[in-house]
Amino acid sequence: MVKKLTIVTHIIAWAIAAIWIIPFLGVFMASIRPFNEIRNGWWNLHTFTPTLEGFFKAERYLRTISLSRSILNSFIVAVPATFIPILVAALAAYAFARFKFPTRDLLFLVIVLLQTIPQQAVIVPLFNITKNVGLFNTYIGLILVHTAFGLPWIILFLRNFFSTLPVEIEEAARIDGASYWKILYKIVLPMSLPALASVIALQFVWVWNDFFFALILIQAPQMKLSTQVIATMATDRFTLDWNMISAASITVMVVPIIIYAALQRYYVRGLVAGAVKG
Amino acid sequence: MNRNKGLTTNQWIAIAVAIIIVIAAVFGAWYLYFQPTGPKKLTVISLWSGTEEDNFLQVLGNFTENTGIESRHIGYSTQELKITIPTQLAANASIFDLAIAPWPADILNWANKGYLVEVTDLIDASKYPAGFINPVKDSTGKIWAVPFKASAKPGFWYRKSIWQTNGWTVPTATTNYTQFKALLATIKADGEANITGFKAPIASGDTVGWPLSDTTEAFIMGLGGYQLQEELIAGSINWTDPEVKNVFSNLTELLNSGYFGTPAEAWTDPIPDLWDGKYAMYFQGSFITAQPTVLNQSDFAFFPFPGWNGETNGVAGSVDYVVLPKYTEKMTDAKKLLEYLAGADAQEIMVGLGGFLATNVDVPASAYTTIDLTVLDFISKSSVHIVGDLDDSIGGTFQTTFWSQLRLLWTDPATRADLDAFLEKLQEFAP
Amino acid sequence: MHRRTKKQRLRIRRYLTPFFFLLPALFFIVIFVLFPIVNTIYLSFVQENGSLGLANYQEVISRSEFINYGRPITAGPPYGAFIHNLIWIALHLPLSVFFGLLLAVLLRDVKGGAVIKSIIFLAMIIPMVVGGVMLRFMYNDDAGVVNGFLRLIGLGNMTRSWLAYANTCLLGLIVGTVWIWTGFCMVVYSAGLQGIPVELYEAAKIDGASRWRTFWRITIPQLRSATIVVVTMTLLWVLKVFDLVFIEFGGPGGSASVMAFQMYLDAFYSFNFGTASVWATLLTVMTFGIAAYMVKRMAES
Repeated sequence: MVKKLTIVTHIIAWAIAAIWIIPFLGVFMASIRPFNEIRNGWWNLHTFTPTLEGFFKAERYLRTISLSRSILNSFIVAVPATFIPILVAALAAYAFARFKFPTRDLLFLVIVLLQTIPQQAVIVPLFNITKNVGLFNTYIGLILVHTAFGLPWIILFLRNFFSTLPVEIEEAARIDGASYWKILYKIVLPMSLPALASVIALQFVWVWNDFFFALILIQAPQMKLSTQVIATMATDRFTLDWNMISAASITVMVVPIIIYAALQRYYVRGLVAGAVKG
Repeated sequence: MNRNKGLTTNQWIAIAVAIIIVIAAVFGAWYLYFQPTGPKKLTVISLWSGTEEDNFLQVLGNFTENTGIESRHIGYSTQELKITIPTQLAANASIFDLAIAPWPADILNWANKGYLVEVTDLIDASKYPAGFINPVKDSTGKIWAVPFKASAKPGFWYRKSIWQTNGWTVPTATTNYTQFKALLATIKADGEANITGFKAPIASGDTVGWPLSDTTEAFIMGLGGYQLQEELIAGSINWTDPEVKNVFSNLTELLNSGYFGTPAEAWTDPIPDLWDGKYAMYFQGSFITAQPTVLNQSDFAFFPFPGWNGETNGVAGSVDYVVLPKYTEKMTDAKKLLEYLAGADAQEIMVGLGGFLATNVDVPASAYTTIDLTVLDFISKSSVHIVGDLDDSIGGTFQTTFWSQLRLLWTDPATRADLDAFLEKLQEFAP
Repeated sequence: MHRRTKKQRLRIRRYLTPFFFLLPALFFIVIFVLFPIVNTIYLSFVQENGSLGLANYQEVISRSEFINYGRPITAGPPYGAFIHNLIWIALHLPLSVFFGLLLAVLLRDVKGGAVIKSIIFLAMIIPMVVGGVMLRFMYNDDAGVVNGFLRLIGLGNMTRSWLAYANTCLLGLIVGTVWIWTGFCMVVYSAGLQGIPVELYEAAKIDGASRWRTFWRITIPQLRSATIVVVTMTLLWVLKVFDLVFIEFGGPGGSASVMAFQMYLDAFYSFNFGTASVWATLLTVMTFGIAAYMVKRMAES
């Protein structure tokens, strides 16, 4: 259907875009201008002195962990917490997609429902478990938690995708005597790259942005993740320096934004999976 | 099973490379994971940042010079420190070797759970005012923390020249509350008429809530006497008692008259406005003098809260205590630092840097800056009783509730209208 | 030992592969998800003296943090965390769904529509704690753009630090979540719109239907399954809001508190795992209910 688009529609559309981007603009401006300039509004442009001072202040804010160190910590958690669930989920998803076995549908249903539970529902037992087995305050503990938490939706997503792949290729390989493991690894996964891209994008961003699990399970200051540093800055008892905290915010959010920019198509696709056809 | 095809050489190479990369990544991460702990320095954690922290680092530097023991300091936000200390201790881990906190009730709580090391034998208790030692002494007489820094919340701070220019009379020891209210009305009228950007006579603190609680305590002691605060701390009087309600009615009256400003983002935010005359006064602790935004210390002064019969007879003081966790790996070094901080030498250095009142009685008056001396003189008056900071003394969930409720009182007319419900909520969490 | 028949052996062997394939996932899920949920629910019934009962539930539900029973509605928040969650849903859901649909339709054929969509979706990518910081900055008395705008249009006397006041803190945060989440609704609806067969529109055109009628009679019904997804995902997301509330620490007097935040306070401030589990369980029941409904609708379509 072709809509005759008026100038008005275009103007409205771009105006909405402008409104939506204002917060980003504000934070960006506040990060590159000194605090005194933006005290009364970053849109005041009569004095404009760009400076990287905010970034340096943000870097040094907590004396025992630099902001860049916390960014690295976020990577240390986010990368394994993205790839391990993919491996584990691919196995399970393939089992759900290609095999019939008792309890299959019930099990799948349970797993699908599990993706909706809030983090608060599991944190107290996880806190106790990790303390008891020495995984408290370790990256491994946090990675395992994120892995487990990501599995339900990744299994659902990959299973749906695997179901759309033509069975014939796999059956042919089976006749040739390939093991299921080989089929999954050499045939199915290479055919699933778009789906994997979606999973990588979504899971990485989700883990990177997480705050609650990190808040409870990582307490040592030099191990803190970038989201924790931001939260500390924002709830500090003392000076709230907008310049510094804006610079920190920009630094922390640039990583997921880059991932999004690179994998945008897959990110969006992953998110709307299951939207239209059910 | 019938294996027919093997993998081609290329595929083997690819697999090998992939495995190497994965292993390298895992070990790289593992290595980096171990890196930060490094040669672990003696770690002290506290609430300080900015200037307060810089000053403290000088003392730590001095300690290193004397003993050769390296140390470092980590400053936390209030909420963070409140969580980190007990969580660490409960997990039998200790990322810190010493902690400095102003919460005597919480300290005794931690001691009760066996998390702390007794310090009775590490210090000479006679060097500290009893009022500082008693809050961290348990029922068997053991002392669980060392007093380090004292601060008092002596009164409303103001910029002398602004008051002079506007012709406002600074309250004296004989000014009473009724006169004070009249003064506030005058300031408000003058300010709105003459000063551009005037906000309110009294600056409110920040949105964490502790400056609001300090101001409220000034009202409690100023209008109810210092004993009222002590009784509230001890829990021997209810918040719903008419005496307490009377204090809050008066406070609410001022709030409703618009004499207080909006709570700011950080407690240091109103200072530049105070300096520019947009606020006339700001109730704060003595540590305000160390702030760089107080541009000229000789133009800065305070007056105590004017009570019904003149100057208030109570001042809230808080003490930052040093505690020693049981799980520290560096017990000997930590004890040395603890003793050093408790001693007069370390405290004299801090006093000299400003914004610091020593707890050790051996520190001479001559070590103090002029403005700090005025605070010291005030709290040394025989008519003035030093009482513990109310929310710090009770601690725990009362404190967070108290702060949160005060933020509500300050910004919500409905709460001000229903003081009974407000006071009942406080009583719920009270001792 | 009873020897298995070859048939039985084959059958077991057939199930062996899927079993091994499922094992790692089950391992993780059982230990880190399933067991904790059950444990949390169990903990919510463990009373102070160790016996099982409803004491924790009674305590939490009677608290003013759950529902502020004494508060007149006209006074504004704090109404209690439970009510705040409901308000959040009541305001956020229609707003973001409406804006999502509006934007999806509007940007369908606009030049540069893809760019605009990317910009709007960007808000979904940032960490929520950063979102909280950005909101605080926006609403700040002096430095915030909201107040700057008010001054610009002459409403300078209405400026205030919006998040510092009890009756506007919650609303301010809700506006923030709408800003963040609308992107999701928009892309789902965009995908939905693309899936509508062109023939339907052509048939409507032949029948002479007006644009408005076409929209109501064809577009909206075709977007039914997309709407189900949007509504359920939005509900789930809104119930789980935590980071924003944390940055404000519940707002003045808990006027922006939500159930997830109260759970956190009970667990890690008061160290009362029993009542904390009550909050968590109530929240889980609500999300589970929504999830079950979504699955049911999915299965139907």
